[in-house]
Amino acid sequence: MVLYKQVVTLLKKEILLEWRSKYALNGILLYVISTVFVCYLSFKTTPPLVWNALFWIIMLFAAINAIAKSFIQESKGRLLYYYQIASPQAIIIAKIIYNILLMILMAVIALIFYSIVFQNVVGDELLYFVAVVLGAISFSTVFTMISAIASKAGNNSTLMAILSFPVIIPLLMLIIKLSKNAMDGLDRSVSIREICVLGLINLIVIATSLILFPYLWRD
Amino acid sequence: MHKNWWKILGAVCVLYTVIGGLLIQVPTLPILHESIRNLYFHVPMWFSMIVLFTVAFINSIKYLSSGNENDDLMAVESVNTGIIFGFIGLASGMIWANFTWGAPWPNDPKLNSAAIATLMYLAYIVLRGSIEEEQKRAKISAVYNIFSYPVMVVLIFVLPRLTDSLHPGNGGNPGFGTYDLDNHMRMVFYPAVLGWILIGIWIMSMRYRIRLIENKRNHIHS
Amino acid sequence: MKKLVSLFCLFIISVTAFAQDKVEMADELRSSGKIYVVVAVMLLLFTAFIVYLFTIDKRIKKIEKEK
Repeated sequence: MVLYKQVVTLLKKEILLEWRSKYALNGILLYVISTVFVCYLSFKTTPPLVWNALFWIIMLFAAINAIAKSFIQESKGRLLYYYQIASPQAIIIAKIIYNILLMILMAVIALIFYSIVFQNVVGDELLYFVAVVLGAISFSTVFTMISAIASKAGNNSTLMAILSFPVIIPLLMLIIKLSKNAMDGLDRSVSIREICVLGLINLIVIATSLILFPYLWRD
Repeated sequence: MHKNWWKILGAVCVLYTVIGGLLIQVPTLPILHESIRNLYFHVPMWFSMIVLFTVAFINSIKYLSSGNENDDLMAVESVNTGIIFGFIGLASGMIWANFTWGAPWPNDPKLNSAAIATLMYLAYIVLRGSIEEEQKRAKISAVYNIFSYPVMVVLIFVLPRLTDSLHPGNGGNPGFGTYDLDNHMRMVFYPAVLGWILIGIWIMSMRYRIRLIENKRNHIHS
Repeated sequence: MKKLVSLFCLFIISVTAFAQDKVEMADELRSSGKIYVVVAVMLLLFTAFIVYLFTIDKRIKKIEKEK
């Protein structure tokens, strides 16, 4: 119960801080929209396979840029303050939930803009949307912990990319396969296995984050 | 000599597979022909790599719970040795694939997974290089190692089973029984795996001991 | 009658073709005994490798004792 209260407080604080400056949100949105536009100008039209892959590559880089900030932007004094008032588990859960919300919002806006600019036919729209949401969740859970590791190792954004790519690639492969199924309009029972494996990996990642973050935190 | 029995066992197993692997009869299969004997030399590399990465994982956990510096050293050396085995496995697999599947890098999920797993551990080495302070380096890299190990397991054991693969034992049909192993081949294959795992651990332990000596010397000098 | 003969010929050809379809193995190398040369070379290589490992092991042991 204490943990729950701490999580809610921290989450409220994150959202409030974001709402006041709107820096992260606007920055990411502009980033996504300009990347999509650059892709549009260079590709004009794309075959379905490229359409799908391109969307996920844009999302991947946007997510890395967005989530890399989540620990790096915190000042030393503020971190010390968190240490006083909350348990490490509460902090990491709050961060993960906040990043999930941010990424889902971003992914949905990106998807809308992307499908307006690039004309493409998606066979099973609901399943594609589910794939996008699952993808946003996977990116957030993995990158939150990696950004915590990278921030302890000298705030280097190259390091963030190096550390996160090998971990995210298996998830990305599954997500691309799932969204490809949705585009082809295959029967939903075909995709259940991918959804299950994705959910399982996310659970494992969250569990290991919860176990490991306290060690990272204690400094 | 009584402590060295496992090294001798490993050596004997490897030498036995050289003789047995080349001379004992193998099933006659199309495409593979005589190259099926590569199984005795290529596949054990992956087994050793996975065992060494598991040793690294266990030692990272031990380090986080005990804070003993030596556990961290053993984890690093396991990763270092495992990466060498991974590279040898990739290289030997590429030669074999070139002659049986027609390309050194056919788009095969198992191949891609193995390459990504190697990347993951190279990232671990880079992470270690980026931190100066010893204790901090040990702790953060242990956290990354434990974090990435389950993903590596999923990558190597689960993902190839979801898609069709050129490798045997995949495509939704996992397990060893589906390898084209007859009893003659088993007689060589299992000792080969055991032998190479033992050799891998032996090399790792030697690197670890060198590291310990270096470490001690550094402490004396500084 | 002609038809039957041609059918028979076709059958013979297909049988011989099938027999040639046999999987090619290194039988020649084995029958001439040269496979043992390969075994000997590889055995030498691996023995050297293992002996080398043992010497390194010994050297480390020596340094460990010095400390």
